[in-house]
Amino acid sequence: MSIISLKFNAIIQSKKSLPYLLLLPAIIVILSVVLVPLLFSFYTSFTPFKLTKPDTLFIFIGFKNYIRIFSDMAFWVAFGRTVLFLAVVINLEFLFGLLIALMINKITFGKRILRTIMMFPMMFSPILVGFQFKFIFNDNIGILNNALQSLGVTDQAIAWLVDRWLAFGAISFAEIWMSTSIFAILLLAGLFSMPQEPHEAAQVDGCNSWQIFRHITLPFIMPFAFIAMTIRSLDVARAYDIVDVMTGGGPAGRTELLWTMIARTGFDNAQMGRANAMAYVSIILSILFTYYFFRKIIATRKAMGGDT
Amino acid sequence: MKMKQKLLCTIATGLIAALSMEQAAFAEGEFKGQTLRVKLIGGAQYEPLYALIPSWEKATGAKVNILSRKNHFELDREIKQDIASGLIDWCVGSNHTSFAPQYGDLYIDLNDVVSKDILATFVPNALKSSTVDGRLVQLPRHSDVSNLYYIKSLFNNEDNKKGFKEKYGYELSPPETWNQVRDQAIFFADPPNFYGTQFVGKDEAITGRFYEMLVAEGGAIFDNEGRPIFNSDAGIRALSWFVDLYKSKAVPVGVPNYLWDDTGLGFASGTVALNLDWAGWASFFNNPENSKIAGDIGIIRAPKGSSGKRTGWSGSHTFSITKSCETPKIAASFIEFLTNYDAQMVEARTGLLPTRSKVWDDIVTEFKASDNAFMVDIFKTYKSSMAEDAFTVPLIPEWIEVSNTLWPNLQAAIVGDKTVKQALDDAAKAATEVLEDAGRI
Repeated sequence: MSIISLKFNAIIQSKKSLPYLLLLPAIIVILSVVLVPLLFSFYTSFTPFKLTKPDTLFIFIGFKNYIRIFSDMAFWVAFGRTVLFLAVVINLEFLFGLLIALMINKITFGKRILRTIMMFPMMFSPILVGFQFKFIFNDNIGILNNALQSLGVTDQAIAWLVDRWLAFGAISFAEIWMSTSIFAILLLAGLFSMPQEPHEAAQVDGCNSWQIFRHITLPFIMPFAFIAMTIRSLDVARAYDIVDVMTGGGPAGRTELLWTMIARTGFDNAQMGRANAMAYVSIILSILFTYYFFRKIIATRKAMGGDT
Repeated sequence: MKMKQKLLCTIATGLIAALSMEQAAFAEGEFKGQTLRVKLIGGAQYEPLYALIPSWEKATGAKVNILSRKNHFELDREIKQDIASGLIDWCVGSNHTSFAPQYGDLYIDLNDVVSKDILATFVPNALKSSTVDGRLVQLPRHSDVSNLYYIKSLFNNEDNKKGFKEKYGYELSPPETWNQVRDQAIFFADPPNFYGTQFVGKDEAITGRFYEMLVAEGGAIFDNEGRPIFNSDAGIRALSWFVDLYKSKAVPVGVPNYLWDDTGLGFASGTVALNLDWAGWASFFNNPENSKIAGDIGIIRAPKGSSGKRTGWSGSHTFSITKSCETPKIAASFIEFLTNYDAQMVEARTGLLPTRSKVWDDIVTEFKASDNAFMVDIFKTYKSSMAEDAFTVPLIPEWIEVSNTLWPNLQAAIVGDKTVKQALDDAAKAATEVLEDAGRI
């Protein structure tokens, strides 16, 4: 038996290596399903890879895809719009989610039913939600315009899905409608786990409801909110289905987000190399938001005297 | 009454004879124990055909394993991913004449597996548009082309006739040209309650509409060397037609976001005077349960542009067989079955346009026998249109990419973000880049 194989056996049989050996299957699975695809897609971003021409995978073009993206104003406009979309949607979802959670926490009867009903929008497929709101916001036969006209609010057909800001509002509304309950559920979990003693002490000290909420309830549930924000920021940064069905990123790119652009480039145009380059640039956005929210969670826990 | 019964009897006998003839194309139980893996287009309009599949399974002994049943855009993505991964483990796929050129040599030349006798029963134009680089890569299932539906009572109204003549100096009648459509649409429009016409305004739909208007105006997308030339005077006239209607509010303000379901439902709601659409909507429009204008619909061939040519952007839904298929004979039998006489009669009854010549005649006879004058009109109009006006998009692999550079710019002109000239120049520049990247020019 050679020295190498003897050493290998010794390593295998040592107690120190046992945990790593036990973890090895998990490490292999994670490497194969996460790291390898990531490295592969990163490599393709340096090629002119077209889905319909597999041979293009082996042509190296350096930074050409990235140079094109960095000099493409349409990409940066979509990037900026995605940041705005994230900011609007996450903040409003937080506000509405908080409101719903506080209301449900107050009631004593039917809490379980309300919690279940609250989850309904999350159960729909995003494509279905997109179609639902596309017809609600349709200017001619949509429910919204017909209701506004019947009620005498307007005598015009409002271009909900065409006007730059109305269309932005419409896709934000659909996204918020579908996912506010994620905030509500996590914040409700925070409210349920909150000890009553600080509340009671504050009441004894003469604090009013707003002071109790502002200085006791809100700081306690903020870590839950930041967890929800982290999850949702990753989701919203990849928003695609609802927007694709409602506006397709249009008209004239007025509602174009990063992933409507990436999906069109990668699948409709089959230019997967360039789409992957776009996706890697867009990941910066997710990393920044995730980093920001984790910092916030750590800061909040510190402020509450917890471990970081 | 007796006459009608006799006619129905004759048709039924004809159908049985045709069925026997088609079934004779394969021997009973010939493919017993074999399984055919297929990827088919899904959706309400396409499903009735698939109800026939068990009868093919029973007759041949083979089993059909449907791996996918998605809409065409999702199916297109899935097929592209299959090509990229090199995992083509299925035999038959739904295809479309606009998509087929992208797939390279994924599919076989059907001239090698489908007999000349069977191919001879198809409409020659449908086979021509299914041919890419001289290879018949798909067998046409049904075709699309659009013609103009209109609300008849608007044209019979004496006040409308008088008012229109005073304003435009010619008689009000179903339009023969697209300029007349513009005049009439503006005349009938009373937003937000009523609109003159509408158009699909996004994705390949608006590219196709612009393309057919461009051709009708005497223009072309590419020159002989394949360079984009749609930013020509003809292109400006074609795009201006959409812009004029949008600016004058003769179309709903949301049209830049409309696809075919929006235009179809809009016309059925009775709030649109003129509607260019495919035959698949005909039964829906004339059914009082769905439509407020049932019984009041006229149909004419798509109008002409200034070149004297009618619009006729056309394509076909098709079936293809993959090169990696180990059982091409079984696959050929399957797609022959799905496009045979009976299958096409099933689809034609719902308004889908057949690709076999005989079905065009027999479906009209059947509708006549059931006193359905509206559907007789529909099929007669669409038959002329398919025979004389229909043309496909340029059959090049980069068509979808070119379309994706074109439609956002068309929208930009329609909603006023760019001038017509600027939009077409920008699109031509982007399309040139696509074609240069592909090494086509």
